[in-house]
Amino acid sequence: MFEAALALQALINGASVALVYILVALGLTLIFSIMGIINFAHGEFYMLGGFSAYYLAQVAGLNYVTMLAATLLAVCAFGFCLERLLFEPLRAQPLSGFIASLGLLLVLQAGASILFGVTDKRVNSPFPGVLHGYGLVISRERLFVMIASAVLIGLLYSFLRWSKQGLALRAAAQESEAAALLGINVSRVSGLAFGMGCALAAAAGALLAPVFYVTPTMGGQPLVKAFIIVIIGGMGSLPGAVAGGALLGLLESIGPMFFSAATVDFLGFGAIVVLLLVRPTGLVKS
Amino acid sequence: MTWAGQVRSITGFLLLASGASLIPVVTDDFYKIDVATTILQDLILAMSLRVVMNLGLLNLAHVSLMGIGAYVSAALAMRLGLSFWLTLPIAAGTAAFMALALGMLTLRLHGPYFFLLTFAVMSMVQLFFHSYLEDIFGGATGLIGVPRPNPIGFGGFTLPLVSKVSLYYLILVFWILAAAVLIRLEYSRLGLQCAAIKQSEAVARAVGIHTIRCKLLVLTLSGFLAGIAGVFFAHSRGVINSSDFGIDPMLKLLVYVVVGGVSNIWGPVVGTIGFSIASEFLRSFHFLETLLYGAVLIAVMRLFPEGIAGALQRIFATARPSPVPSHAAAGT
Repeated sequence: MFEAALALQALINGASVALVYILVALGLTLIFSIMGIINFAHGEFYMLGGFSAYYLAQVAGLNYVTMLAATLLAVCAFGFCLERLLFEPLRAQPLSGFIASLGLLLVLQAGASILFGVTDKRVNSPFPGVLHGYGLVISRERLFVMIASAVLIGLLYSFLRWSKQGLALRAAAQESEAAALLGINVSRVSGLAFGMGCALAAAAGALLAPVFYVTPTMGGQPLVKAFIIVIIGGMGSLPGAVAGGALLGLLESIGPMFFSAATVDFLGFGAIVVLLLVRPTGLVKS
Repeated sequence: MTWAGQVRSITGFLLLASGASLIPVVTDDFYKIDVATTILQDLILAMSLRVVMNLGLLNLAHVSLMGIGAYVSAALAMRLGLSFWLTLPIAAGTAAFMALALGMLTLRLHGPYFFLLTFAVMSMVQLFFHSYLEDIFGGATGLIGVPRPNPIGFGGFTLPLVSKVSLYYLILVFWILAAAVLIRLEYSRLGLQCAAIKQSEAVARAVGIHTIRCKLLVLTLSGFLAGIAGVFFAHSRGVINSSDFGIDPMLKLLVYVVVGGVSNIWGPVVGTIGFSIASEFLRSFHFLETLLYGAVLIAVMRLFPEGIAGALQRIFATARPSPVPSHAAAGT
């Protein structure tokens, strides 16, 4: 009985982090589906979100939800400009685009270290306190993180499903040349996709800022998780990213009960290797 | 054309090597000799990475092959007390074998799948040295006190290899050997096949080139050379840690190769030497160095993706009128 409660508790903690990683992974897979580029700098937008939370919510005292909206808009615009200036001209060569994203990673990380400093920054929880029930404990903060992530995922789904821009985006992801023939401005849609992908990562960083510390190197961990999720779900598949994130969250919350932390990470990378070799299209059928 | 090019490359490298051999003569500053030693190791790494990247294979596990060389040699020397001259071939051979295994596993994959997989492999190798077999590889602390290479003896005469200067010359010799092998590769039949694969893999296969075999051979050679660089890395610094073989040193290496230029044998040489010297001036501003690396990488990708050496080659090629009409040149 005690064991079951413990496992359930681990599952709840895992779910809150998994939802955030799904946000990061959705952004990554969105960018890949449209542009064919694996954005290695994706974790750096997560980091920018963390610093946005620190400066806007912690230092300037802005309301957390307002801060989140401002972060989404600002990073989306930043990502859009980056796509126009940097990735759009490299569209024809995905390898060059990928290498440019490595350069972007270095620039953003070093730039953040110079501008913001390398000391850990603490962001106070917007919702302190815990909730009890059925022998389980959950902090209000984690509950907020879960709800906000779920809302963002829902918003992304509705945007892609029902808006005209979302339809254009899906068309361009399916077959960009045919989409262009039908009058869709593919290069603007790519900018939009890149901006939205980055914004999702930034939202994730802003949401997790009170849970972890904010540092210029905080983007590495979620980037790796997003890779694992995207590969489990199949690169470029949005439902796959959600399913992959759920699976990874499950493994990560249950895994440490049986293995050491290093072994859990090792198995995660091992999963990438095996999946890429055996089933590069991912486990989820889209 | 092949002969003239080969002679030019050999002359260039001989000039560079003789220049490098003068460094300990003109300076007795140990710091400068240390920097020069590191540049030589990085040159071996960058030049061996370039031949793989030239095939369109962005191998992010290149730094792990170096790490395997370093850890295997250091562990054999420290735990079993083996001589450096025995651990060197064993460690380089292990790295070459791992490269071959990696190639056999991954060469079916293309484009983004290949480098994502090598990224995962790199992370796994780093994690392995960091967290497993602690009594052999030293865990999180790494290995401290890796011995200097054993002296070489010729009959009654022995050459001690303890001082920094002698170590520098030893690495110089190995760099010359590595460069010789790579120049030979560039102008060999295999090198021509690689050039064909680079232009169009489908066409190369159609004219009867065994593309997988070519890629495996090049990858194995590159792993062997990376392993040698790793062995020297371990025995010249005396301290190794799993973080020396992670994403950060890999990105640095990638910057050297890509900015210098992948298509030309001089690319990694230009990139490595240029960036290493620039880094010395920026060392006191740690993050500015990283910022510069990233900014230059982006600028090169955006402005001349063939790299500095490639851009220079193009400028000279257009400046010098071609002796044969271009359509005839394309046929040779």
